[in-house]
Amino acid sequence: MSKNNSEFSVVGKRIPKLDAAQKAMGRAEYIQDIKIPGMLYGKILYSKYASAKIIKIDISKAMALPGVHVVLTGEDVPKKMKMGFYKDNPPIKKDKVCSFRDEVAAVAAISPEIAKKALDLIEIEYEEQIGIFDPEKAMEKDAPLVHEHTKSNVLKLPWNIHYGDVEKAEKESAFVVEDRFTTTGVTHCCMGTSGALALFDATENLTVYTNTQIPSLAQKDFLETLKILGLENKRVRVIKPIIGGGFGSKLDTYAYEHIAILLAYKCRKPVKIVFDRVEEFKATSTRQPTVTYIRQGCDKNGKLTFRDIRMILDNGAYTSWGATTPTVMMMPISSLYRVKNIRYNAKCVYTNNTYSQAMRGYGNPQATFAIESNIDMLAEKAGIDPIEFRRINQNVPNETTPQGFKITTCGLAECINEVEKELKSGIAKEKGVGVGMASLIHVGGGARIYKSDGCGAILKMDDYGKVDIFTGGTDMGQGMDNITAQIVAEELGLLAEDINVVHSDTDICPWDVGAHASRSTFVAGNAALGAAKKVKQKIQEFASKLFDVPAEEIKFKNKLVFVPGDQEKSMPIDKLLRKAHFSKNGTMLMADYFYDPDNESFGKDFKCNLSATYTFGVHGVKVNVDEETGKVEVLDYIAAHDVGQAINPLLLEGQVYGGVLMGLGYALTEEVVQKNGENMNANFRDYKLFTAKDAVNIKAPVFETADEAGPFGAKGIGEPGCVPTAPAVANAIYDAVGVRIKDLPITPEKVLAALKEKNG
Amino acid sequence: MKAFKYLSPTTVEEAIAFHDQHSETAKYIGGGTDVIVKVKEGWLEPDYLISLKKIGEMSELHKNDATGELSIGAMVTHATLEKSLMIQNEYPIIYDAVSNIGSLQVRNVGTIGGNLINAVPSADGAIPLIALDGIALLHGPDGERSCEVKDLFIAPYKTILKPREILKKITIPPQAPHTGSAYIKFGRRAAMELPLIGIGVLLSLGDDLQTCTRARICLGVAAPTPMRAFNAENLLVGKKIDKKILIEAGKIAANESKVRDSVRGKAWHRKEMIRVQVRRMGLKCLEIIKNNS
Ligand SMILES: Cc1cc2nc3c(=O)[nH]c(=O)nc-3n(C[C@H](O)[C@H](O)[C@H](O)COP(=O)(O)OP(=O)(O)OC[C@H]3O[C@@H](n4cnc5c(N)ncnc54)[C@H](O)[C@@H]3O)c2cc1C
Repeated sequence: MSKNNSEFSVVGKRIPKLDAAQKAMGRAEYIQDIKIPGMLYGKILYSKYASAKIIKIDISKAMALPGVHVVLTGEDVPKKMKMGFYKDNPPIKKDKVCSFRDEVAAVAAISPEIAKKALDLIEIEYEEQIGIFDPEKAMEKDAPLVHEHTKSNVLKLPWNIHYGDVEKAEKESAFVVEDRFTTTGVTHCCMGTSGALALFDATENLTVYTNTQIPSLAQKDFLETLKILGLENKRVRVIKPIIGGGFGSKLDTYAYEHIAILLAYKCRKPVKIVFDRVEEFKATSTRQPTVTYIRQGCDKNGKLTFRDIRMILDNGAYTSWGATTPTVMMMPISSLYRVKNIRYNAKCVYTNNTYSQAMRGYGNPQATFAIESNIDMLAEKAGIDPIEFRRINQNVPNETTPQGFKITTCGLAECINEVEKELKSGIAKEKGVGVGMASLIHVGGGARIYKSDGCGAILKMDDYGKVDIFTGGTDMGQGMDNITAQIVAEELGLLAEDINVVHSDTDICPWDVGAHASRSTFVAGNAALGAAKKVKQKIQEFASKLFDVPAEEIKFKNKLVFVPGDQEKSMPIDKLLRKAHFSKNGTMLMADYFYDPDNESFGKDFKCNLSATYTFGVHGVKVNVDEETGKVEVLDYIAAHDVGQAINPLLLEGQVYGGVLMGLGYALTEEVVQKNGENMNANFRDYKLFTAKDAVNIKAPVFETADEAGPFGAKGIGEPGCVPTAPAVANAIYDAVGVRIKDLPITPEKVLAALKEKNG
Repeated sequence: MKAFKYLSPTTVEEAIAFHDQHSETAKYIGGGTDVIVKVKEGWLEPDYLISLKKIGEMSELHKNDATGELSIGAMVTHATLEKSLMIQNEYPIIYDAVSNIGSLQVRNVGTIGGNLINAVPSADGAIPLIALDGIALLHGPDGERSCEVKDLFIAPYKTILKPREILKKITIPPQAPHTGSAYIKFGRRAAMELPLIGIGVLLSLGDDLQTCTRARICLGVAAPTPMRAFNAENLLVGKKIDKKILIEAGKIAANESKVRDSVRGKAWHRKEMIRVQVRRMGLKCLEIIKNNS
């Protein structure tokens, strides 16, 4: 499989995003742009309290407002209708609210203004109750229960592993360090806000236009909703408009989608709900805030002996996929560097905060922050240079980790070397300037967290040499469309622009588990490649008869089908396709392929080979710390990754740059500030997302280890960019001024307070 | 968002007349970067927005070379100030402040007058104009009056302007020779940032280039309205200025401030920033004076 980049025609080329012009010219259709005749506008009323009983709801005034078609309350929602993998979240709450984000009523009206006015007319009598907002306090015995029917605020989830013997290893360690690290809730900040449009046809089949990263699983959730409404045996069609950013925020179905369905069903008209920016901040999820207690040890030569981690996650009031992030945290905990003895226990705890969800890295950034900050502390205690320390413990190719992950290709060593070169290249150390680094491991070949990790693709060729490929994969801006086109074009000797990638409609596209786990290039890419190979074989068979040579001698390049070295035996592909089509017993060239990677779901003790391959990377950063103000300035950043093969270096760099900036925001500025469960900064003025002016100089070298399993050798790279950023920055700050900040984000206040404490 | 009518008078008198006609339901609009945000969010529900954009004289930026007086029309945008070489060279404190407001787009439409009249404690534009002893020229139904910029503010979102009164322009008296001025907005981001604290310092030195003849230490977000740290200023006037005395001035200014804890930042840190930045801006002033003489 390993091929030199120069042997490729389309793969490895910097081809701009296929829909870039459409987006730049404002022609891309987002959910905001979609209108259907007769459509009504839905709006949701949220709770006024973090925790309260609902005593009475009076909707009469809202119903009486001209232009209002339907007002729904919890009474109208069938009891069985619950969302999330824990099924603890009804789309509209009935007797009790458990967070400010709780939906208490919804309206459909002829205009968004009237819908909003109707919300103001709904009268609700609450009886406020004591809430609980700190997950550690929520674990205490006499803490108020977020959900009265549970015995404890701790969710019953089995996040526990112990490989080897941690206690014994600790006794035998020469050096041990332990500490407590915390991370806060940050949010995805998608430029396109959330929204959904639901409509029923005359026979009660449902179509939902929605921003989703999981069209097939969303279809399943919506079918479930129909079933609960008594609509058995109906069809659900999910259409994705162009999505303005996902980052994990769209990996579940949400109240607004189910409410749009309920409203549309009740009023027999299409209903659209679109979030405004404040709603986007308040009613979408955050990354899991975590409290991590970590102990690591090494022998006198710096070889890691054990890693022991206990973690508490703020689940918020309801449970979405966020509560499963400990399964992904297990990956860096068990497999970043070579550590034989591993113990990990995680507790997800209900609080009256907003509920947390998947976000780029899926737990990995939180775990890596604790591990990699602590690694630097351990290296210091052992008296070993932090780069050398990592080298002593680095992962190597062809090794199985304690959790059973089979590492095949691994470019961690190359990444460490590259980052070292960059960090040491600076001139003599100035006051307040420091460097830091951190490594990452992430799934790079899918992740079997669902029964199937597969993706389907259907490919057809027309009479003009063009391809339509219908893929289960989802483009949400990350470039799945380009990758698919480039892979198919490479295989069939075409140009990327000859390939039309259709990924928007469950009526047309095959099944896929979703755009998560950095899997689209690997899994959807392999699905597309599989379909292309099948079509290629059919063309070869046809051309073999035509040219009278064995099929395998037929090659494809520059839109030609030819036999190398024989000028007579060559034909433009479109001509050949027409020949195939318009001859007696003619044929059209089409193929389908379903690719499900060779990876495993969690077995006993969570052991398995979760991914078909793993992505590695090392980030290095140089910072300047103003010792009088505590302000941290990022001077330089390098993010080196082993990506297998860059299918499109331009988009790959885009993923890395975007990831790093998201990671820097996580490290330094971003935080959803919740005061007793209430979001205090639901706007871009006070939610400190990095701006263009804050963007830093990032170098993004890639190492191409050409993975056997990947399409043309590629591994996933969607998430890694934001995984080791925060610990790299924390380590650099320590190097610069000698204070270690263990709580994100690292604000000037925290740095200055630590400096004052250190300097007395 | 409530619908409104947009009126475009071409003289101050006409604008006031429009406002008279529609009384309570009208509101002046400059660049609209504060007004429209409030209308969109439902805090303001005017039936009429009276734009001051077409009143030519209000967009004039002019320095009278004979008198040395600077005149800034209230409708002059931050971008106009930022790009003016005269401002860059002679009024660095104005440049420091306006060149870091919001984003390029905001600076292209947002005006200095709107920034003052919106009257938030974090208004970047207010600090330099106070430091420069700016005079605000107001025009209302009863004619013109003027006041010092520092006396414009009563409370957050509240100025001394009477109903229908318009801020026409701000004049800056001639600056003494050997004057340096500087401003810093301390925030967490490089753009789209309200200051956690804003610090402006202006120093004039005597002919010995050492003794302070005038000192202005102005603080934003340090109190409900932009404020001057009079005690710190008094410490400096008449003294020889060096790092040591600037450190002392920083301490005094920090103590004079009425900073508070908020979601955006902690009071103790704000105080620290005043302490540190008064010194730094003071040193910057000395640097500017040195370079210009
Ligand atoms: C994204 C964004 C970022 C921002 N960043 C900053 C920042 O970094 N620093 C900062 O200080 N501000 C910032 N602002 C606030 C705002 O841009 C400034 O205050 C700007 O100078 C306001 O000017 P304007 O012309 O747009 O005012 P407008 O919105 O037009 O008016 C503001 C108020 O003043 C009144 N008014 C305007 N002109 C006159 C006049 N001549 N006479 C009488 N009344 C008048 C209006 O009736 C209104 O009450 C930001 C705003 C936005 C939207």
